[in-house]
Amino acid sequence: MIEAFHDVSPAWPVIIGGLIAAAIPNHYVRKGLALIAPILAGLLWFNAPSGGHVGGIIELGGFVLETFRYDGLSRIWGLIFIIAAFINGLYGFHEKDRVADAAGLIYAGAGLGAVFSGDLLSLFFFWELTAISSVFLIWGSKTQAAFKAGLRYLAIHVLSGVMLLAGAVIHAADTGSWAFDDSLSIDTLGGLLIFLAFGIKCAFPFMHNWLQDAYPKATVTGAVVLSAFTTKLAVYALARGYAGTDVLIWIGAIMTAFPVFFAVVENDLRKVLSYSLNNQLGFMVVGVGVGTELAINGAAAHAFVHIIYKALLFMSMGAVLHRVGTVKASELGGLFKSMPVTAIFCIIGGAAISAFPLFSGFVAKAMTLAAVAHEHHWVVWLVLLFASAGVLEHSGIKIPYFAFFSHDRGHRVREAPANMLMAMGVAALLCLYLGWPDMFGIPGGYRALYNLTPYPEVANAYPMWTFDHVVGQMQLLMAALFAFAFLVRMKWYPDEKRSVNLDFDWVYRRAFDGLARWSYAMFSRLWAAIGNLLAGVRDRLGGRLFQTFSPMGALSRDIPSGLLAIWTSALLAIVLLIAYLAP
Amino acid sequence: MSDQSGKHDERIHPAARPFLWLDAPWLKSSMLWILLVLALGFAAIDLFHHRHEYVSLAETTGFYALWGFGSFVLAVMVGWFVIRGLLGRSEDYWDGEGDQ
Repeated sequence: MIEAFHDVSPAWPVIIGGLIAAAIPNHYVRKGLALIAPILAGLLWFNAPSGGHVGGIIELGGFVLETFRYDGLSRIWGLIFIIAAFINGLYGFHEKDRVADAAGLIYAGAGLGAVFSGDLLSLFFFWELTAISSVFLIWGSKTQAAFKAGLRYLAIHVLSGVMLLAGAVIHAADTGSWAFDDSLSIDTLGGLLIFLAFGIKCAFPFMHNWLQDAYPKATVTGAVVLSAFTTKLAVYALARGYAGTDVLIWIGAIMTAFPVFFAVVENDLRKVLSYSLNNQLGFMVVGVGVGTELAINGAAAHAFVHIIYKALLFMSMGAVLHRVGTVKASELGGLFKSMPVTAIFCIIGGAAISAFPLFSGFVAKAMTLAAVAHEHHWVVWLVLLFASAGVLEHSGIKIPYFAFFSHDRGHRVREAPANMLMAMGVAALLCLYLGWPDMFGIPGGYRALYNLTPYPEVANAYPMWTFDHVVGQMQLLMAALFAFAFLVRMKWYPDEKRSVNLDFDWVYRRAFDGLARWSYAMFSRLWAAIGNLLAGVRDRLGGRLFQTFSPMGALSRDIPSGLLAIWTSALLAIVLLIAYLAP
Repeated sequence: MSDQSGKHDERIHPAARPFLWLDAPWLKSSMLWILLVLALGFAAIDLFHHRHEYVSLAETTGFYALWGFGSFVLAVMVGWFVIRGLLGRSEDYWDGEGDQ
C-alpha cells in the first residue's frame, strides 16, 4: 500500500493517457498508452484502502468535490471498467486512428471517474464527459448514417446530463447536500429528474433507441468500447441512488422482455447485440429495484460478467465486420471455415450470456432470479425466465449460428488479427473462469466474483451450485434449443432478410422530424404570404401617393382657371351658408 | 461452382478442417432429434427427482422445459408476425442511411 496514492482515483491515469494520446502522432506510443493507462488504473485500484475510503477531495468555487469514493459498490464497478479498458486497448491495437484512441481512453476514464464520484457535481462532470468523448467512436465510422446517429446520440446524452444537473441543483436546494448516495428519491422533483437522467443512459423503455441506433453504426472497436461503459454506469448510478425503488422492478422486467421480439427479426447482428444488451440491462435493473443485499449482489455480479461476455460478442462480430465487411445475417454463414477461433470465442460468449452452467452468466443471473423469487415477485420471475429463453434465442443461437454456420455464403477470409484474437481470448477465459464451480476442495472462479460483490458474505452464503438449480437451467435451455431446431425444421423460423424494423425512434426520427419539417414549411409559407400582403399594401399605398403627389400626380396637374373659379365659388357659397345658419 | 463442403477448398482455415462435419447434411437433419432426446432427457429427471424451488409453480413436473419451449416459440412468433409483420420496412427506409 502506498499511502501517497490513496487519494488518486483510477480515472485520472486513463483520462490523462487519453489526453496525451490526442497529441501523440506515433501509433505505437498511443497503443502503449491504451494498454499502460488501464494497468496504472488497476494498480491504483489495488492500492486503495480495503475498508472503504473517500478521497481525492477538490475544493472549487465553494463546492467540495469527492473524486474517489472507494467502497463495496464502486469497487466491483471500478475493477470491471479497468478490465474492459485494457481489453479494448488490446482489441483496437491494429487501428490507426488518433481520435479514436484518445476518445476511447477518455471515455473509459470518464466512466471510472463517474463510478468513483462521491457527489453529484463530480458525477455530472464525468457523466457529460462520457457523452462527449464517446460520440467520436460513432463518428469514427465516417459514414453519413454514423454522423447523424452520433448527433442524435449526443443530443440525447447531453439532455441526460442537463437533467442530472437540474435535478442535482433542486435536490441540493431541498436538502442542502450534493452527496451522491441513497438520499435520492423519485418522490421529489430533483430526485425524479436525476432518476430520469439515469434512465436515459440506462436505456429504459421509450428512452432506449439511442442504443440500437448508435452502437451498430460505431467503428469495429468503437462498438466494443461503447458496450462496456455507458449503460453499466447508469446501472451503477441507479444502484447507488435508487436501490429498492419498486418501479424499477417493472421497468427492468419490461426491459428484459421487449428487446427479445425485436432481436428475433433483426438482420444486423450488431443491432441484435444492442437489443440483447438492452435485455441484459433489464435483469440488472430488476435487481436494483428489488434492492435486497442478494439482489444488489446479483445486479453487480451481472454487470461484471455482462461487460465481459457482451464485449466478447461485440468483438467477434467486429472481427467479422473487419474481415467480411458486413454483419448482416442475410449475407453471412459458414464463417467457421475461415474464422474458426473467432467462432469458438463467439460460442463461448453466447453460452455465457445464455447462462449455461459452467459459464459466467449462470452464476450471476441466478442471484437476481433468486432475489426476485425470495421477495415473491413471481410474475416478474416468470418474465425473467421468458427473457432467459429469449437471450438464448438471439445471443446464444442467432449470433453464432447465422454468422458462422447456417448457409455457407462462400466467404473465404482470413482469421481475425492476432490482437483481436488475444483480446477475445482474455474475455473468453474470464467467461469460463468466473463460471467455474468449486471442485475437489478448490474454490471455483465464481468465488472470486462473489468476493467482489458489495455483500460478499451474502453472496458466498447463496447455494449456487445445487443439483436442482443446474437441472432446472438445463431443462429450460435444452427445451429452448429444441424449439429452435423444431421451428427451423417446420420452416416456422423467419428467414434473415434485408430490412429494418421500426422502433420507438420512429417518433423522433420521423414523426417529430416530419412535424418540424411541416411546421417549417408552413411557417415559410405564412411568412411569404405576410410578405406578399405587406408588399401589396405598400404597392397600393405607394401608388396612391404617387398618383396624388408625384410630378404627374393629381395635385400637380394644370387645372383650367374656369374650373378653379367654379370650385372657389362653390366653396364660398358653402362658407356663406354655414355662416348664415350658424347661431 | 463453389465447393460448399470445403474439403478441397484451400482457403479453409487449417484449424477448421477437422470440424467440417459440422456442415454435413446428416448433422443438420439429425440435430432436431439429438436436441429432442436431450430436452426430454433433462425434463425426465423431474419424474425421479423432486426439485426444491423458491416458487412453488416451478416444482411442477416439466415446468422449466415447457416454459423454455413456450417462451422460445412465443418470442419467435411475436417477432415474426408482430414486429416484422407490422413494423418491418425496406432497408433504405431511413432515407438510405442504412444501419451500418
